[in-house]
Amino acid sequence: MKFRQILWLFLPATLLLVAFIAAPSFDLFRASVFDPDFTTEHFERLINRSVYLDVMWRTIRVSLTVAVLCTLIGYPVAFFINLQPRRRQTLLLFLILIPMWMSILIRTYAWIVILGRDGLVNQMLAMLGLATEPMQMLYTSGAVLAAMVQILLPIQILTCYAAMTEIDFDLIRAARVLGARPRQALARVFLPLSLDGTLTGLVIVFMLSMGFFITPALLGGRQDTMIANLIEFQVQRLNWSFAAALGVVLLVLTVGMIVALRGAGKLLARRVLKGGL
Amino acid sequence: MTYYRMALGAATVLALAIPAKAQDKTLTIAGSGGVVKEITEKVFLPAYEEATGWKTNFVAAESNIMLEVRTMLASGKMLYDAMEVSASNYPIGVKDGLLAKIDYDLLDPNGELPEKAKKEFGVVAAAYSTVLVQRLDKNPEGRKIESWADFWDVETFPGPRSLNRQPQYTLEFALLADGVATDDLYDVLGTEEGLDRAFAKLDEIKDHIPVWWTSGAQSVQLLSDGEVFYSSTYNGRVTKLQESGIPAEIVWNGGALHTSYVGIPKTAPNYEAAHDWIRIRTMRPDLEIEYVKQLPYPNFAPGLFDQMSEDMARNMPTYPENAEVQFVANDEFWAANIDHIRERFDEWLLE
Repeated sequence: MKFRQILWLFLPATLLLVAFIAAPSFDLFRASVFDPDFTTEHFERLINRSVYLDVMWRTIRVSLTVAVLCTLIGYPVAFFINLQPRRRQTLLLFLILIPMWMSILIRTYAWIVILGRDGLVNQMLAMLGLATEPMQMLYTSGAVLAAMVQILLPIQILTCYAAMTEIDFDLIRAARVLGARPRQALARVFLPLSLDGTLTGLVIVFMLSMGFFITPALLGGRQDTMIANLIEFQVQRLNWSFAAALGVVLLVLTVGMIVALRGAGKLLARRVLKGGL
Repeated sequence: MTYYRMALGAATVLALAIPAKAQDKTLTIAGSGGVVKEITEKVFLPAYEEATGWKTNFVAAESNIMLEVRTMLASGKMLYDAMEVSASNYPIGVKDGLLAKIDYDLLDPNGELPEKAKKEFGVVAAAYSTVLVQRLDKNPEGRKIESWADFWDVETFPGPRSLNRQPQYTLEFALLADGVATDDLYDVLGTEEGLDRAFAKLDEIKDHIPVWWTSGAQSVQLLSDGEVFYSSTYNGRVTKLQESGIPAEIVWNGGALHTSYVGIPKTAPNYEAAHDWIRIRTMRPDLEIEYVKQLPYPNFAPGLFDQMSEDMARNMPTYPENAEVQFVANDEFWAANIDHIRERFDEWLLE
């Protein structure tokens, strides 16, 4: 069948995207510069007050940290699963999927139970006599990071795993036959081939982190406010135009960072392929 | 004493009722729906009808009641004789001239109502407080928090605290902690230096507040979990906290007393009869006790506390000892100033 003849297959998806993504996005952008007349005051407020720049910078920093941590933890796990016999792979993947099926809200609340002043960790520390005073872990940046990594980790593991299963193991055998030591074969054949999928996972985790709301709201203090929290706050205060401006900024920052991350990843991949690590 | 007063009140009402009875008229009262409407219909309306011989028509104004009154005023046909006026509606009603003055010689000739109950355009119908609550078990040996200054004293009373993530009734607490007298609160807060002073005081405690609560339920949860030892919260929720076995105690000193009112719209057709209604609604302890049993928002009905157990009375925001040490939350001030102060507060939180 010709391309043009099957083009209509895209129609439902296109309609859906226009109605529920493109149109609201346009509306958001309009709301950010019309209040009710054309104005750039909301963007000026964002740029002129250092507190808002801090929030943006923090959002990027936290999202990058979460994405990198997920990659550092997720990649070895995916590698390990990939080396297991088929049956055990299914079981392990199933175990990783279970927490993903639970609501983010519930998983976040679980962290409150774990990290609270009377929580599991503090009780354990007290029982072992390691601490006389309960540690303040809830409402800190550490709590937000830990929970975000825990929540997003399965996504990175699954993406890495999917990329690894595509790799032809004969290539690694070939490298070994041609004299590469195991570590060399891994670094110069396996790693570069899995890099693209890993990078995709990193970008997905980063993207999801940028819009994270519940976790910083429930586990973080005021110094852990991210853009999404700020948006919710401004909506509650009925500052809808300012909230819209924040939304536009979030969108632009996220898209910009994704392009930058992909670019940096490509560059890294090329260097790794050429000269090894 | 109570019986004497009640008899006196009943006699007054009865005296007023006799001429009214002959006319067989209807008093139209606007108020909120839901539980408040239910209790009003069960408790206050029958008492009014019995005392005056008038009929009543209670209208649940679900939409914007001030807008309705404004429209009626403009059209020259006022349908309401009396109305509930919420704390936030009161300043609007005053500013826009929607409310009629209360005639206190008519309402309360013997001067039984305390001053705190009497506003120019309304009488306090219900009250609640934003108060400081402490976990007694977290206090240092033999010490108890007694004021907002103690709340700020992190040396004597170490431990995490929480406050409302709103400038209103938070900045006031900071100023009280800084030594401002309750009577001067809003004069100080109304100046730029006073505002700076409040924020400077908040700066001192900022690092000791791991979390700012955004709902009354959250503040109680934080106290209950021991995440914070001291917090502001609404008095109505503290009883529940205590009932669940948490050794929590209210510090009434420096609390913010919030009041809602019953008032009379301008050009109300039955201005004098509306005063009878207000008397029934705000000055009858035997009726008010029934209301308070359902909703913990008492008013200043004289002798109300004689109807209660000592324990219950002491937990009421309008109990004389409690009311005395609180300040009356100034909703007019906040209606006029909220925008610029809130922006500053929100940005201060992010700093």
